[in-house]
Amino acid sequence: MSAVTFTPRADVRSTPPASGPRRIAPRAHIADRIFQSVAVSAGAVTVSIMLAVGLFLSLRAKDALVVAGPSFLFEQAWSPETGVFGIAAVLFGTVSIALVAMSVSVPLALGTSLLISEVLRGRLQRTLISIVDLMAAVPSVVFGLWGVFFLQAGIIPVSQWISTYFGWIPIFAVTGADGARLTEASAVTSSAFIAGLVVALMVVPTQTSVMREAFSQAPVGEREGALALGSTRFGMIRAVVLPFGRGGIIGGTMLGLGRALGETIAVYMIISPIFTINWEVLKTGSNSVSALIALRYGESSDFGLSALMAAGLVLFLVTLVINFTASSIVARSRSGASS
Amino acid sequence: MKLPRAATRRRVILTTTIALLSTLVLSTTAPVSSALADQTYEPIQGRGSTWSSGAIDQWRGAVANQMSVNYTADGSSDGRANFITKIVDFAVSEIPFQTNPTDGSTPEQPGTDFAYMPIVAGGTSFMYNLKIGGKRVTNLRLSGETIAKIFTGKITKWNDPQIAGDNPGLAMPDKTITPVVRSDGSGSSAQFSLWMVNQYPQIWNDFCNSGVGCAAGSMTSQYPVFPGAKGQAKSDGVAGYVAQDYGEGAITYVEYSYPLKAKFPVAKVLNSSGYYIEPTASSVAVGMLGAAIKDDLTQDLGGVYNNSDPRAYPLSSYSYLIVPTSAPRGVFTEGHGRTLAAFAKYSLCEGQQQVGLLGYSPLPMNLVQAGFSQIRRIPGGGQLDLDINSCNNPTFKPGDSLESNQLAITAPQPAACDKKGPDQCTTGTAGAPDETPISGSGNGGGSSDAGVNAGKAGAGTAATTAAGGSSSLATDAVYDENGQLVSAAAGGGTAVSAPFTLASESFGISQGLMLAAVALLLLGVFLPPFLSRKLRRSSSSPR
Repeated sequence: MSAVTFTPRADVRSTPPASGPRRIAPRAHIADRIFQSVAVSAGAVTVSIMLAVGLFLSLRAKDALVVAGPSFLFEQAWSPETGVFGIAAVLFGTVSIALVAMSVSVPLALGTSLLISEVLRGRLQRTLISIVDLMAAVPSVVFGLWGVFFLQAGIIPVSQWISTYFGWIPIFAVTGADGARLTEASAVTSSAFIAGLVVALMVVPTQTSVMREAFSQAPVGEREGALALGSTRFGMIRAVVLPFGRGGIIGGTMLGLGRALGETIAVYMIISPIFTINWEVLKTGSNSVSALIALRYGESSDFGLSALMAAGLVLFLVTLVINFTASSIVARSRSGASS
Repeated sequence: MKLPRAATRRRVILTTTIALLSTLVLSTTAPVSSALADQTYEPIQGRGSTWSSGAIDQWRGAVANQMSVNYTADGSSDGRANFITKIVDFAVSEIPFQTNPTDGSTPEQPGTDFAYMPIVAGGTSFMYNLKIGGKRVTNLRLSGETIAKIFTGKITKWNDPQIAGDNPGLAMPDKTITPVVRSDGSGSSAQFSLWMVNQYPQIWNDFCNSGVGCAAGSMTSQYPVFPGAKGQAKSDGVAGYVAQDYGEGAITYVEYSYPLKAKFPVAKVLNSSGYYIEPTASSVAVGMLGAAIKDDLTQDLGGVYNNSDPRAYPLSSYSYLIVPTSAPRGVFTEGHGRTLAAFAKYSLCEGQQQVGLLGYSPLPMNLVQAGFSQIRRIPGGGQLDLDINSCNNPTFKPGDSLESNQLAITAPQPAACDKKGPDQCTTGTAGAPDETPISGSGNGGGSSDAGVNAGKAGAGTAATTAAGGSSSLATDAVYDENGQLVSAAAGGGTAVSAPFTLASESFGISQGLMLAAVALLLLGVFLPPFLSRKLRRSSSSPR
């Protein structure tokens, strides 16, 4: 508020009133009024576009939702043509891919952002910042191609290793229909795990830059105070930077989660779409709402399209809830409150 | 005096090379520029089949200096849907509009102002990735029933007796089959399921009745991703999956041009006269002689599936250009129609010269003639000079009779080793011309298929009989995942190597050492900071 200040011109009336303080009718400068109206209308347009998207999705989804009823949330199959369709399996796949992505990307982003903001200095720091930002500029279809034709072949042994030694944890098991363990390469390709890894690499730059921004704002006085009290660099980071940047960590994570839930093309290229709930993240076959829409929208009938809109609406609401939760957490933290 | 002479000679060589090159360039572009009059064409948009996109992309590239034809290959279903919503000028599809679908899907309502025009023939091939003893198999043979059972989950292992019976020359490994199917709406899926509905209704109906997501007795564009199968989007996706290293054991259905491009083999499919045939340009041309063409030019493929010609490939079909016949229609105008008609004419005539090399089969004269009548119906296509005698299509010469197909006339008879029996040709197929050594009990032989690789594929090293020789032995022999012989029936008089087995990987000394190394590493990383802190504290506490 210090840089932009309104300078109201006092419009002094020629005849002073009989009693009380003189009345001032502030009249904003023309530039201020233009600025104000532009800012307000930009905000209003953004909000109304978002509301319009939600309204549009709800209207188009109505036909399908009326037919499916509450079973839409619990049915796994997807066959709008025969009236049996639901989002359970698809939403489960979306969430599992996003969770895999988060469990990989958050540690990576946290480490990278701390490295950039606390350890590196000067030219190296600037170079790494631009490299990470460059990663965000890679189109998702390129990530998808890379995932299918390069990463997948390299990840197969990793998946097989995890399923061999940690198969006793149910989500890391890779079993066939009869419960027997599968060891072949084809059993672990096109899985939620591989899709999640690719999505993780796509969201790391976003998360890194949000976290780095928060960490770099940690007050110098407190940092120096911690150091003066004899803490090591790690101690200072733990006592000052991380608590201060908590809002940034959560905000960055949630921003990445939102993107991971909605990632389309890379997931579409990697997964083998199935319509059953697959708890085994390493096993082939998964699905996601956005990949389903990309796969089916072009060739759907009106009703099929309506069903896809309903799926999109659910994703929209889930993302909205996540973002609101995140922003309320961020607002209560120190770095969030200051920014 | 020597140097200048050398210099002039070099210059002469240079100028002649340039001259030669320029004439070459001129001569290759000349037919195109003469066929398409030098006028400006409005750009047009199309969408649809990935099955025939190889040929369409070739034609688009060839006419790119004359006209701009944009084509997005995202599946036949998508192409038809976009044609109905009138946001494209043309669509390409393997199957006609599904106005009366029997699989429960919503009927498509394209209206009446459109026409079908066949643009190219091709074979839906079965591309696979299989190795025996570390060496790629290139001469796999499959009967129709085997294929139907593989893609409905009935046969799940490569060493299934039915596959071994088709391949007497191969020691099939004990490896799981990964059928790769299209996850998007696809004309390839439709053609393939139509063939199964027609030829193996029992297998298909049992499959659909098991609740995988298809309707018994009707074809489907959305092939169910059944347990054990893998779904990938578009032809590029399925072919790309099979071609990866991790795709070993996978098989997919895709147009012949894709394995050709990916340098992978295709399975030879058993036809009704008992020959295993590769979907080369000529065998598809012969196969399509059995097609019944309806009044609207759509195909009835019943006669193709059961074509009794020994050279015929049973899964041959045509791909269709769907063109508007009234203007304006959505984005389509008469100006676009002029471009579309010229492009259609190019693809029916000169365009067909190249398709054989790409893995398709050129159209015969009767369909080109019929295609011309459809071009005349395109608004703006009326003024085009459509003369069948100047068409320059490789399947007929000027003055030929309507029914003749040069390609079918000159198509070679299949080799004796391609006949169902104890012999199996060793010659490679499609994009993988290398021979496969005999590992089973059958005899070898060179295939005479006049395929794309006919020049490269010489006569096979025939008749290197494998140990044993009698085919009864083969059914009793057992092979492991890598195609190594594990055991054979006793009494064959053949020496069977005992497999060399490694000790099972239980927890031994090496594992213990590795674990110790990891523990040491972790200690080395985490201990010093802890210790130093402890030491510092203890040293400072007395003060």
